[in-house]
Formats: sequence, structure tokens, C-alpha cells
Amino acid sequence: MSSRRSRISEEEINELISKLQSLVPESRRRGSNRASATKLLKETCNYIKSLQREVDDLSDRLSDLMAGMDNNSAQADIIRSLLSS
Amino acid sequence: MEAESSTSNQQRKRKRSASESSEKPAQSTWRTDKEHRLYSSKLLEALRRVRSGSGSGSSSPRTDPPRSRAVREAADRALAISARGRTRWSRAILSSRSIKLKSNRIRVPCPARPKRTELERIQSAADQEKKKSVVLQSKAKVLGRLVPGCKKLSFPTLLEEASDYIKALEMQVKAMSALTEILSMIGGGTEGAPGMVQDAGAGTSTGTDSMPPPT
Repeated sequence: MSSRRSRISEEEINELISKLQSLVPESRRRGSNRASATKLLKETCNYIKSLQREVDDLSDRLSDLMAGMDNNSAQADIIRSLLSS
Repeated sequence: MEAESSTSNQQRKRKRSASESSEKPAQSTWRTDKEHRLYSSKLLEALRRVRSGSGSGSSSPRTDPPRSRAVREAADRALAISARGRTRWSRAILSSRSIKLKSNRIRVPCPARPKRTELERIQSAADQEKKKSVVLQSKAKVLGRLVPGCKKLSFPTLLEEASDYIKALEMQVKAMSALTEILSMIGGGTEGAPGMVQDAGAGTSTGTDSMPPPT
């Protein structure tokens, strides 16, 4: 029991690594045992970066759409009513 | 609306006691419909505030960089609130955004202080993997910089925060894409393919442009 390191055991780390692996799309496709920890970390970083970029992108589109509300078309009215409770 | 908020109150109490007894959040977090709906309504609220905050109907230019930034921050804040204080990244978002500084400046107090020695212990205990673990450490540092508030965490904690953060981000993308599709279908009129809302997980797949400038 105390043959491992005191607070983190290797099993815990492997468990967390496999949990991450199931989340990150690339690693899932390659089969469950292929990814080394470093590769997985790199995939994870890339995945997080791409997700954040998507959110930025979507924020841009949303703000554009919201800006379009400032005109007087019928569609703008609908959007305005959606966004004004 | 009221029924939902009361059940979410009960859920909050249950979740709080659950998180006190066992540290790990449920595996199905961020994936349930209920959370998706809760986040979507928080997102709408946040967007309303952005809209009313940036001045209604004044001469605001269409491509307003601060507004896109405001939308992003509002969405992030709503996401962090949905985490209900369970994770470090969510607390870091909430504490850093409100002061409007870069998140690097704000130190969320991490109770894990001797974690550096644990990393060293991993290194010394596995001599064969020495090279590997140095690379691992640098990758872990990059990951720590990506997830808000997680620059100085131990390796397993960092992995936990990262997996929760990923799931939350995926939900955020889904919700925001769905909203964007709906709004662009309404605003764009005849563009936008049918059945788009269900498919929101794929992200911004239709390259629909913003609306033409008003004449």
C-alpha cells in the first residue's frame, strides 16, 4: 500500500488519463491503448484550444447578430423579443 | 420556470452534500438535457444584459470588438456559474472576470502547495521514464495555462479540472451554436438549412455570413 508515492498513485493517474482519453476526440478513434501520456496531453491541449476558438467564433457571430437587431426589420423585432425576456 | 428553479434548488442542495462526501463530480455532468437547458437560459440572460449594457439603438457599429468580447465573457461567466463552485476553473473565471483583469493576474488561492515536490517524486521514482516525465511536465504546464486558474495544480488535479473543463466547453459550444443558428435563421430569412438546431454539436458548419448592412 505504501510502496507507491504518498498522495498520488499511478493507478489514479492512469484512471484520469483514460478518462481524458475518452473525452478528447482524436484519442478515441485510435483505440484505447495507443495513446501515451504525452500524446494525450498534447491532444488535450489542442482540443481545448480548438473549443475555445469555436467559442470565440460563436461569440463573434452572436454579437454580429445582436448588432443586426438595431435595424427595424420584422426579423429584428423577433430577435429583440427573444432577447428581452 | 418556477418549477425548474425549485428543482434546481433541490439539486443544488443535493449536489452540495454529494460534493462534500465524495470529491468527484458525477460522470454525467455537463451532458444532461437539464443542464443544457439551464445553461441556455443563463446564456440568454447574459446576452440580454450585454445588449442592454452596450446601449440600445445608439449608433453602435456592427462590428463592435468590445461587444464580441462582452458576449464571450458573458457566456464564460454563465458557464462558470453553472459549475456551481465545484471546480477551480469555474471559480477562477468568476473571480478574475469581475475585476476585468487578465486571468493571469488574479491568484485563486490553491490549497495544494507542496504539489511541486510530488511532481519531483514522480520523476525520481520512475527513473526509466525520466525523459518522458520531463516532457510530460512541460505539456502539463501548457495544459495548466489553458485551463483557467490551474497553473500550479498537481498533475491528477489538473487532469480532473481539464476533463471537467472540456465537457463544460463542449456544452457551451453546443448551446451557443444552437442559439446562433436560431438567430441567424430568423435574421437571415431564407438562408439556413432545416434541422440545424439538433446538429449544433458540430459547431459552426454552415458558413453563413452575417446579415447585409441595413440601408
